[in-house]
Amino acid sequence: MTDRTPETEAAEMITAPARPRMSFARAFGPIVLTAAAVALVPLRYGDSGATMRVAVAGVLFATYAVAFNVIFGSTGQLFLCVGALAGVGGYMSGILSDRAGWPLLLSIALAGLLSSALGAGFSWLVVHRSLDVIFTGIVTLAFSLGFSNVVLGQRNWTGGENGLLIKTGSNSLLGDQIPPFYIMLGLLVLYLVIYRLLQLSHIGWAFRALRDDEVAAELAGVNVARYRIYAGTIGAAMLGVAGAVWAHSAGFIGISTYSFAGVDVRVIVMLAFGGIGTLLGPVLGAVTFTVLDEFLISFAQLRVVLYGVVIIVLFLGFQRGVIPAFQGLVERVRDARKRRSPA
Amino acid sequence: MLEVEGLSAGYLGEDVVRDISFNIADGEAVTIIGSNGAGKTTVFRAVCGLLPKSSGDVTFDGESISDLSAHRIARAGLAYVPAERHLFPQMTVAENLALGAFPDRPDPETMSVVFELFSQLAERRTQRSGSMSGGEQQMLAVGRALMSKPKLIVLDEPTTGLAPKLAVDAYEALAVLQAQGLTLLIAEQQVPLALSLADRGYVLENGSVQLEGSAEELESNPEVRRAYLGVA
Amino acid sequence: MRAVVFDGIVLGLQFGLLGVGLTLVYGLGGILNLAHGPMAVLGAIVVANSMDAGAPVLLAVALGLVSIGVFGLLLDSTLMRAVYRLTGERRVLLSLLLTLGVAFVIDGLLVWRYPINSLGIHIGGDPVSILGVRMRTGSLVASAISLAAGAVLVVFFRFSTAGRAVRSVIQDEVGARLCGINPTAVRTLIFGLSGVLAALVAVTRSMTSPITTTAGIDLTILALIVTVVGGLGSVAGAFLAGIILGIVNTVSSFYIGTYITTIMLLLAAALTIILRPSGILGRRG
Repeated sequence: MTDRTPETEAAEMITAPARPRMSFARAFGPIVLTAAAVALVPLRYGDSGATMRVAVAGVLFATYAVAFNVIFGSTGQLFLCVGALAGVGGYMSGILSDRAGWPLLLSIALAGLLSSALGAGFSWLVVHRSLDVIFTGIVTLAFSLGFSNVVLGQRNWTGGENGLLIKTGSNSLLGDQIPPFYIMLGLLVLYLVIYRLLQLSHIGWAFRALRDDEVAAELAGVNVARYRIYAGTIGAAMLGVAGAVWAHSAGFIGISTYSFAGVDVRVIVMLAFGGIGTLLGPVLGAVTFTVLDEFLISFAQLRVVLYGVVIIVLFLGFQRGVIPAFQGLVERVRDARKRRSPA
Repeated sequence: MLEVEGLSAGYLGEDVVRDISFNIADGEAVTIIGSNGAGKTTVFRAVCGLLPKSSGDVTFDGESISDLSAHRIARAGLAYVPAERHLFPQMTVAENLALGAFPDRPDPETMSVVFELFSQLAERRTQRSGSMSGGEQQMLAVGRALMSKPKLIVLDEPTTGLAPKLAVDAYEALAVLQAQGLTLLIAEQQVPLALSLADRGYVLENGSVQLEGSAEELESNPEVRRAYLGVA
Repeated sequence: MRAVVFDGIVLGLQFGLLGVGLTLVYGLGGILNLAHGPMAVLGAIVVANSMDAGAPVLLAVALGLVSIGVFGLLLDSTLMRAVYRLTGERRVLLSLLLTLGVAFVIDGLLVWRYPINSLGIHIGGDPVSILGVRMRTGSLVASAISLAAGAVLVVFFRFSTAGRAVRSVIQDEVGARLCGINPTAVRTLIFGLSGVLAALVAVTRSMTSPITTTAGIDLTILALIVTVVGGLGSVAGAFLAGIILGIVNTVSSFYIGTYITTIMLLLAAALTIILRPSGILGRRG
């Protein structure tokens, strides 16, 4: 046991990674508050089945967005197969539990495992072929569209375009929307906690380093490849489980449930709007665009046009997302205050 | 020909050079000497429109170019040959030179002058510039600047990477150009060479002009001799 | 079999033309224009409406080309300004999002106003026999136009001063500025050119099979695949890739089924990315 000299301590301080030291309240407070706020929704709108359906969709997309944030926000891998990865989970779990009679939790677990394997595979490709953002997107897009085609083609297993009824779990296709709401909310909270824990761990530190400057990170000893694969695996697992949980809660899944246009496009817009790489950005984005979608339905034909206009206006205004813009504003106010009253 | 007054510029919000003023008369050869990091490249970039200024005015040939963008300044007759050269690697020597004359079509006379001055380029007319040696690329960069028939050429450390003999050759070529009426502004670390060609010079250190004078004055200045000419 | 391959080439030339516009814009500004397909369809609708209004075919086509060219110019000089202020990955991402919005707007407007419109230009004449395969005149004219356009582009970029200026901006933007070239103007012009090319593809496509209002997204994905396989930023690569993919398309449609065809094309793109990321003729980095 060596003596701790001042030199050793100084050396340790220099080499120790800068982990954000957050109090428990600061770390998890926002999550608790958000969860509480969202949990109140059924109290106000519980009676309206239509509204609740929208609310559940919103929470579902928030979970997708958090998972996508783990993959893209943390390590910059543009996985355009969010829907497909969730779909793998959904269909896998549904088939295992209905056809093969597996217990619910085991089905979901295995489905998540399968998705995470796929995610790991994609990340491995990204890393070993040095794929940049666009190419990663195209390869994963190919998978997305391929997945949709397989679902359509293998109708014996998937029900094709008619969709698949899933009997295991709370079948609430036409029934009560409140249980699925709280189930998905629970999952969302879990995912937010996971995200926060990642942020605060050495994994999160590695993520930030490689996002900032990949070469510098490598030189500092961060195995960029390994952390990219971690991100892809964890994020994909989250997607698979979310897709599976959704399948059982909703009781019915079809082509549009996990399609690229139905999921990926939305999730990207939501996350980019809320703030890529922020904790609550995905939630903010999901809530905003779910509400917006509903609002735009009343415009029938012009809905797509307005959606496009909104996207253009929002992203011209909030290029980094709302939460980073807000953080920037707070910083500027703080700086201005500091300059005005030098301590 | 060129008047710079009160120029300040820098990177990421911090000024690297402060309150720089200098001028160049028609047909003069002026050199700016200073060690690495003194700010010579920053000054040139700011003058030529590649770097935004925090303050200062630049007048070229009687007209203010302070607010012009780089390509406008180039078209006004101020040719800049940066230290990194910025050639077009997939294009041949001939194509690089032709682009120097943009937006006009390349003048065959000017091109032959360039080839006379730099015989090695003539031999490699159809070679891709990306595959040439450092010295050849330097010649090509100067040649490209000449194709626009500029009134003033600004050269940032033109002898970088050149073997001593080639560096001397380069300065001989520059002397020829000056004799033909071209005005020159050169940033140089190889001070003896620079002072041998220049009429006047400025010493830039730590972001501001420390000394100015004729080439002879600078050469005999004891501080200059100590700092740049290696004389005790 | 030969007929299938020939059909593939005809299709492929148009694929190439479709990809060229996208690849140019990406090579110059690092921007991915997801509205490329909808722009092409918009061109088709302009031409169709002009012809309905009584204009002769050539005038209608000219109108279509010019209008989408102008649209491209406007789009670049307004919306894309915000994108050019960013660099690298953030620029690509913002360009994706903004052009996605534009794509929605165009698509939505077209579907809303002209839900059943389609453009089909009928070129009369008897089928001509080429190497023992009977080709419709429509296919031949379409191919001729695509080839001619390709040739014009190649000549433009290799031999003209303006074309050289464009290449210079791609190879070294600072160097281009020092030569008196305005990169912003070049990018805007090329965006406009990509619009003209998009409209041209719509016109030539319509000579073989009608273009409908909903074809926008498919065309964009197609252009993307061609661009990736051909190499981002390479005109010749886009055409080469286009022809190859066109043949893959018709062969797989004929022998396997249209269903798998989309997957085949995507697989081709994915394989190219995995095996040779710079594309057939592209340059790395």
